[in-house]
Amino acid sequence: MTRELKFESPTFLQRLKGMLGVDFYRLFHTPLFYIFLGIAAIIPAMVSAMTMMPDQSGNTMEPLYSNVWQIIAASESLYVINGIADYANMNMVFIFGGIMVSIFIGHDYKSGYVKQLFTTHAKKQDYMMSKTIVCAFAMACMCITYFIGGTVGGLLVGYDTAVNVNSLILAILGKMVMSLGWASLYTFLNVIFRKYFGISIASSFFFGTGILIIGVAAIVENLSIPTPFLNIFLYGSSVNASLASNVGTFLVCIVVSVAWTLIYNFLGTKLLSKSDVY
Amino acid sequence: MNAIEIKNLSKNFGPKQAVCGLDMTVPMGAIYGFIGENGSGKSTTEKMICGLIPTSGGSIKLYGKDYTEGAVRARVGVLIESPGCFPGLTVWDNMMLQAENLSIPNAEKEVVKVLKTVRMEGAAGNKYQNCSLGMKQRVGIAMALLGNPTLLVLDEPLNGLDADGMRIMREVFTDVVKDGTRSIVVSSHLLGELQKVATHYGIIRHGKMIREMTAAELDASCRTYVALQSGEMNRSKMLLGCKYSRVEEDEAGYLRVYDMTTPEEIVTYLYENGICVTEIKTDKIGLEEYYIDLMKEGK
Repeated sequence: MTRELKFESPTFLQRLKGMLGVDFYRLFHTPLFYIFLGIAAIIPAMVSAMTMMPDQSGNTMEPLYSNVWQIIAASESLYVINGIADYANMNMVFIFGGIMVSIFIGHDYKSGYVKQLFTTHAKKQDYMMSKTIVCAFAMACMCITYFIGGTVGGLLVGYDTAVNVNSLILAILGKMVMSLGWASLYTFLNVIFRKYFGISIASSFFFGTGILIIGVAAIVENLSIPTPFLNIFLYGSSVNASLASNVGTFLVCIVVSVAWTLIYNFLGTKLLSKSDVY
Repeated sequence: MNAIEIKNLSKNFGPKQAVCGLDMTVPMGAIYGFIGENGSGKSTTEKMICGLIPTSGGSIKLYGKDYTEGAVRARVGVLIESPGCFPGLTVWDNMMLQAENLSIPNAEKEVVKVLKTVRMEGAAGNKYQNCSLGMKQRVGIAMALLGNPTLLVLDEPLNGLDADGMRIMREVFTDVVKDGTRSIVVSSHLLGELQKVATHYGIIRHGKMIREMTAAELDASCRTYVALQSGEMNRSKMLLGCKYSRVEEDEAGYLRVYDMTTPEEIVTYLYENGICVTEIKTDKIGLEEYYIDLMKEGK
């Protein structure tokens, strides 16, 4: 006896919900996530409390920071890093996050999960979006543990706590929002280098540290481009979220983060569609 | 309507043409044995059907629809080489994740059902990395069965299975297609096993389909031969070799005469030469020999 076949196309939301369910389950069940949350807490505490630099005379060593919140964000928006203290702030989360995303996505390919996934109704854009959202969530969580670790470290050493609270909150929120943009960039990089795990990690690391971007900044600096423009586009406005942040800064972070996400998800989807998945 | 209809399919990897102008038709309700040498393009074709690699040309239609359509893709179950499972998670967790990806309602019930089908319900709590090769293959097939697929594409699913595992798979395959709407494409180098279940065959060589046939057509194409044993096998072989063009000794120790002849004629001929035949029968070559002959013809 032959029965009639029915083919029903799952909606975008159904597909995304399923994929997000899987990715969040994996995230919460992998030790990697908790290890990176720990790293994100310990590193700022150590950097804040233990880093010493020579003073201007070069004869005596003095603490790198004098204020608890310097480990959270730079005192002002800077696309070019003037000193190590400006550099070592919550942007470090984007380095840890980059490595975590590389391992997370690398495991998708190593296990054959991606192969299994794309034989179903899953679309490439669903994959890019799901990874971006889950990894952004992970990085946002790291921002929180970073904040806790950095604050505790600074308080234990007894640094000054003076700060504009609104700006501090907006800076932290700005960086958390930028997690989405960074996660989309890392997802895209990992899709490019999906067959080369080591290169994936290296590329995420280089972009996360801003080494490549700082290089570009040094070049474009001579082109007389306005500083706010560079702040927004060169480092994804992560440096824009400083201790001098206001609502405008936060909105810029949202806009840039969404723009990055759209661009990198589009590029990643195109790349996955045109190339062999497995 | 056919389950799969492929026209003029091609795939290039740089200058290398892995599949060139392949046509393939898999009817509904068929168990389609997809056969070919290593590197002949079987896996590449299957990967294209499954949407894992883009085609370089040609068309693939699944149940009359474009193979990339989400509605059709949702009804295709796949096992390519090995299942895509996370080694640190249990079999159950991996199955549930796949069910989640497929947006299956009542996922737990469905997972229990497919694990029972492949006799893996007792190993659901095992970590995937601790499963044997045969168990992993069963998990892969269970995963492919999730979501009540109308088409199964299985690449070497019988690898690593023990005799019982193969029997179970045969049962699963026949059970899947029994309603006449669902189909299976299965590639395997275990041709003897494949012959026990396949209803259709496709033989691929150098990226081209060289023959497509039903099991009945294969049966009709397979040559008959006379197999015998005698008290003096070496002399029998020599004598028969003088009279017939193709005489071979098989693995079971029988002499096979492939020429058009009868057992009576052979018995008489050997008897006249002083040899007594102890056992004689007529038989047909199987898929394996048919395939080997076909490959030899090509060369």
